[in-house]
Amino acid sequence: MRELLVISRGIDWLNARIGAVCNFLVLVAVLVSAGNAMSRYAFSLSSNAWLEAQWYMFAIMVMFGASYTLQRNEHVRVEIFYLMLSERKQLWVDLFGTLLFLIPICLLLARLSWPLFYESYQIGEWSGNAGGLVRWPIKFVLPAGFVLLALQGVSEVIKRAAALAGYVKIDAKYERPVQ
Amino acid sequence: MTIPLDLMPPLMFGGLIIIMLIGYPVAFSLATLGFLFGLLAIEQGYFGPLFMQAIPARIFGSVLSNDLLLAVPFFTFMGAILEKCGLAEDMLDSMGQLFGPIRGGLGYSVIIVGFILGAITGTVAAQVIAMALISMPVMIRYGYNMRYTAGVLAASGTITQLVPPSLVLIVLADQLGKSVGDMYLGAWGPSIFQIVLFAGYTFALSIVKPDHVPAVPKEARTLTGWPLWKKCLRGIIPSAVLIFVVLGTMMLGLATPTEAGAMGAVGAIVLAVMHHPEFSWAGRRIFVIGIVACGIGTLVGIFVAQNVLFKIAFAITYFAIAWICVEAFRIAELRDLIKQGYESTMRLTAMVVFILIGSTCFSVVFLGVSGGVWLEHMLTSVPGGTWGFLIFINLFIFFLAFFLDFFEIAFIILPMIGPIAQKVLTPIVGADAALIWFGVMLCVNMQTSFMHPPFGFALFYLRGVAPKEVKSSDIYWGALPWVGLQLVMVALVIAFPLTVTWVLDGPSKVDLDKVRIEIPQTDLPPIDLGPPKMDFGPSK
Repeated sequence: MRELLVISRGIDWLNARIGAVCNFLVLVAVLVSAGNAMSRYAFSLSSNAWLEAQWYMFAIMVMFGASYTLQRNEHVRVEIFYLMLSERKQLWVDLFGTLLFLIPICLLLARLSWPLFYESYQIGEWSGNAGGLVRWPIKFVLPAGFVLLALQGVSEVIKRAAALAGYVKIDAKYERPVQ
Repeated sequence: MTIPLDLMPPLMFGGLIIIMLIGYPVAFSLATLGFLFGLLAIEQGYFGPLFMQAIPARIFGSVLSNDLLLAVPFFTFMGAILEKCGLAEDMLDSMGQLFGPIRGGLGYSVIIVGFILGAITGTVAAQVIAMALISMPVMIRYGYNMRYTAGVLAASGTITQLVPPSLVLIVLADQLGKSVGDMYLGAWGPSIFQIVLFAGYTFALSIVKPDHVPAVPKEARTLTGWPLWKKCLRGIIPSAVLIFVVLGTMMLGLATPTEAGAMGAVGAIVLAVMHHPEFSWAGRRIFVIGIVACGIGTLVGIFVAQNVLFKIAFAITYFAIAWICVEAFRIAELRDLIKQGYESTMRLTAMVVFILIGSTCFSVVFLGVSGGVWLEHMLTSVPGGTWGFLIFINLFIFFLAFFLDFFEIAFIILPMIGPIAQKVLTPIVGADAALIWFGVMLCVNMQTSFMHPPFGFALFYLRGVAPKEVKSSDIYWGALPWVGLQLVMVALVIAFPLTVTWVLDGPSKVDLDKVRIEIPQTDLPPIDLGPPKMDFGPSK
């Protein structure tokens, strides 16, 4: 169990680091988007590269940030019955849900989205817009993001199992994310 | 064992309800359900294995590379900053003093400020929290009824999601394949009627039960005359500027809705710096110079030409904005505020967009097994024709809103019923306006999802910031009349489509076209109502 917990901590560390980068991308995207609109108005300066950079950052934010969001237990649930369960039962729901839903589905989606990236990579795809960005690297966020999410799922399973076996105490309390 | 195709959609629909009630995160439950039924359908021979390849292509094509969804983090970030930048305090305090001495005055001030803040930001959380923190203690101190206090704060905070530039409207426009500009225009009517209803209720209460909404004694005013007006202006002028930055630039076609959100976020940072006591003297000077330059630049741009002077003026303005943003990072407190803002924004964005990813998995398969046809059949066979359809849908959304929040409703339910609504409503208001009317109607309706006891978000936030003496039951009971008022508004929008469409048909047609050119249409693949097909290419 101890070795598993070390693995889990390693995964948590990795995804937290990646999450920190994603956090920062929010600010960068805001500044790029506002700057782009302002310079277009006053100086007629704008390019598709800057426009595309915005949704590239968005895609990274979403696909790579989802694992850290999972780590923080902030994916929204329909909690009407979930909240009536005891803490142990909630852990069981999470354990089975992650094993049966999250991990298989993320691996499947990673597998399905791989050709999307690989074909694009092989032809060295670029944006169809004039002055756009190179396209294939951003397609990589799909398979990579799903794999990271599955990894985070493994970490969550380890933590829940360890908590159920009484090895560690974890704070798995769920609160609805503020929106 | 063979499962007839007719049976697949109801099975999926039933499965949807069961799997969500388990309480595992919605995004992954939905995706799992979609894939399970996808495999089943492949096994039954309703479509080939290649069909599932459409899912990642669609996640990439219409979710990740969707410019409009980028507005989600921008508006959320803006809301997070605005909540703490002092604008709400200034306005509530000054308006409260202005209206306080009339009966129900504090209520009116909350309603008006809620509307103004709603026209600046697009998120509910920030607004309910900011307003409740400031107004609740004051209203309780002057003997306002607890239930009224809770209700008016929750409802006036929630109206944000109906007043442009609401995030809900952007998401609805995206999911229904309409332009955001049209959606905004359509929403003005109902949002104005809605605050009139709120104020009317307050007025009625002040006559029937005057002790619930007492007048504040004149002596309680700390400001009178010019200082009071000055304080009012201090709240109103920055709001007006922000409204222009967000809504004005969008409506004039200077910025896309997404960019408007980003500029609003920058504007919120500037505002937060201005309100901060550590704002440096040099910064203040640069700020004034920036404003003057902006004025000159605008005048030159309008009356002369966009010449060198215009460019220099705006360069100075932008420099001032950049300076103030840098200053925001030098003040430790603001740096933390901004950091917290973008951190929570990132997680919220990932969470929301993953619901969309999950529902994409579900809806691709659902439509693949002719779920659209099944649903259309079911919905159009509701007795009462069009009106029966509308009443049924609205009741459905109303009850769904007890369990789901608006992102879930918009992403899961809307793609299914959108095309049906288009068909059913076109005879009443015309093809163009049909989905605008429908979208705004649902938006009014979904306000209730923030207000339903016990899971309504607005009540939840209120609970979080309310003083100890406010009981949960006060908040729950207090919300009910306001949910009623919101439902009255839904009924009005259903009964009088003109409340939404009058702007669309009116003289603003010219502006509208301008907006339409400027705003990139989203490339939602056409929703396939027919038998399974492989083509999920972008719509024309």
